[in-house]
Amino acid sequence: MDFCYGSKAALQGIHLDVEYHRVTALIGPSGCGKSTLLRCINRMNDRVAGARVSKGEILVKGKNIHDADVDLTQLRKQVGMVFQKSNPFPKTIYENVAYGLRVHGVKDKTAIDEAVERSLTQAALWDELKDRLHAHALGLSGGQQQRLCIARAIATMPDVLLMDEPCSALDPIATLKIEELITQLARDYTVVIVTHNMQQAVRVSDFTAFLHLGKLVEFAPTEELFTNPREKLTDSYLRGTFS
Amino acid sequence: MSASNPFSGDNDSARRRETAMRWLLRLGSYFVVFVTVAIFAHISHKGLPALLKPEFPYIDTSFLTELPGTLHVIEDKQGRVTQTSPQEAETIKKQLGNELRSEKTISYAGGGILGPIVGTALLVLVSVTVALFLGVCCAIYLSEYAKKGKFIEMVRLAILNLAGVPSVVFGLFGLGAFVLTAPVLTDLPADRAVFVIPLGFTNLSFQGWDTCVLSGGFTLAFVILPVIITASEQCLQAVPQGFRETSMALGATRWQTIWRSVLPFATPGILTSTILGIARAAGETAPIMFTAALAFKDKLPWQKDLPPLPADAGMFAHWEQSVQRCLGVFTESVQALPYHIYTLAAKIPQNEYSEQAQYGSVFVFLILVASLAATSIWLRIHLRKKYKW
Repeated sequence: MDFCYGSKAALQGIHLDVEYHRVTALIGPSGCGKSTLLRCINRMNDRVAGARVSKGEILVKGKNIHDADVDLTQLRKQVGMVFQKSNPFPKTIYENVAYGLRVHGVKDKTAIDEAVERSLTQAALWDELKDRLHAHALGLSGGQQQRLCIARAIATMPDVLLMDEPCSALDPIATLKIEELITQLARDYTVVIVTHNMQQAVRVSDFTAFLHLGKLVEFAPTEELFTNPREKLTDSYLRGTFS
Repeated sequence: MSASNPFSGDNDSARRRETAMRWLLRLGSYFVVFVTVAIFAHISHKGLPALLKPEFPYIDTSFLTELPGTLHVIEDKQGRVTQTSPQEAETIKKQLGNELRSEKTISYAGGGILGPIVGTALLVLVSVTVALFLGVCCAIYLSEYAKKGKFIEMVRLAILNLAGVPSVVFGLFGLGAFVLTAPVLTDLPADRAVFVIPLGFTNLSFQGWDTCVLSGGFTLAFVILPVIITASEQCLQAVPQGFRETSMALGATRWQTIWRSVLPFATPGILTSTILGIARAAGETAPIMFTAALAFKDKLPWQKDLPPLPADAGMFAHWEQSVQRCLGVFTESVQALPYHIYTLAAKIPQNEYSEQAQYGSVFVFLILVASLAATSIWLRIHLRKKYKW
């Protein structure tokens, strides 16, 4: 698959098979196109003027997501996303989690209640927050806010969960919690995570893809890629001889 | 041993310039404050007496609750002067008989200013409704939907230029567009209609709305539209992009995103700018001169002579007439505060007796504008607390 912003090619010749119910990490130096690739999968790049996939196709659940009969809202309902900066809406905790359901027309209060409880439980927040669901979400700590964003993303029961450096703004303890969470989420979701932190990739992922200058350099099971990289470029990146 | 000061200044000219500039800026600000306070003090000093009376409870609301009228000034032979209304002037003159020395009449300067206050309120109501609707639509489109490009830049430029158009031009535009050509539904098109489209059951006649609240309100709406569009767009842009991205990533459509995650957080700012727009609309004179305002009117907009109902008229007829009366206020011409002030200042002889009405009107107007500004500040503080991010 090729992808460009206007005339500037951002991704070239990417071929990647993401395994079902596994965690796939995308690593690489800044500006290598990891986030761009991630945002292709739920077509968030559509919002950027001039951005388009110029060659190839992206299949999610066997369907080319650029087909004319693909409804963007359905695609994004099934391919959830968590952003780098935790960005809960300035609403209550409950309303944050319920947002996705509400925009998809769910009106039944018990259904929403159940989804909120399920999502918060899966995001390991239920016990902490069950007594103050109607408190303002911005009153939470940074780590809680990011887990709330994860809960919000999984409330609509997506199949795929995209995470764009979800821990980059968090302290080590909060990071640890999120990483545990990611490992658990892989039981129910296919997770694709962009990370700057290579240890994190080792800790959470089953597969790792190394990107450099818009090209996929190597894609292998995480253990294999980190202990025995096939490409020289990967090896020197992992050793830190360039970044 | 005294240590030498390692931080002693050596650049005297830079320091002098610093002091000079600080004082220049300070004096400039003080001057502006001084002028503002002086204007307010002068108007309050001269205008407040219009709302006061010598006896308890000292506050005289008649200036606010009476329609304007002609002021009669009667002087008797002892030199006592009475200012009064036309009706009472007759009785006083009869009582005085031969004692009457002189009687002066000053148009518009008597009574109160209820008519202009009501008229201005109606004009503001119409103009803000129209301007808010059009302005917010336009701002949302420009900020959220339109693709960046030449066309959008041209639209923006046009809006900015609209803000620079002299208000009298808006008045003439309103006269041409709303008073003389705007479409109405009527069975009997007027002869002056620009053209008529028959609809079968009735006609769509481009014959204008006449001088009325609706024409004036629409004209004023275009005066304040640039302010509302620009301010609303800035408020929308100030809402973090992350809200939009997150909302879209959760599968919301663009409108759902705007309705749930953008507009609520832009509302405080939009309302604030709207209230400032209200103050502007309330104060404009030229746009309503040709489209809505009268120098004098002895009735309130809803005091219209409707055909009396037959004695056996049913509920429905009464109800229909009330509705007609309510909607009728928008098709009536009215007095308006700024135009009333203009009339008092420019169209009647200036003397000690007309002064009170002049300053009184200006004072009431200033109070109204000041309270609008205060409301806007209060609203901003209140809503910011609610929608903070």
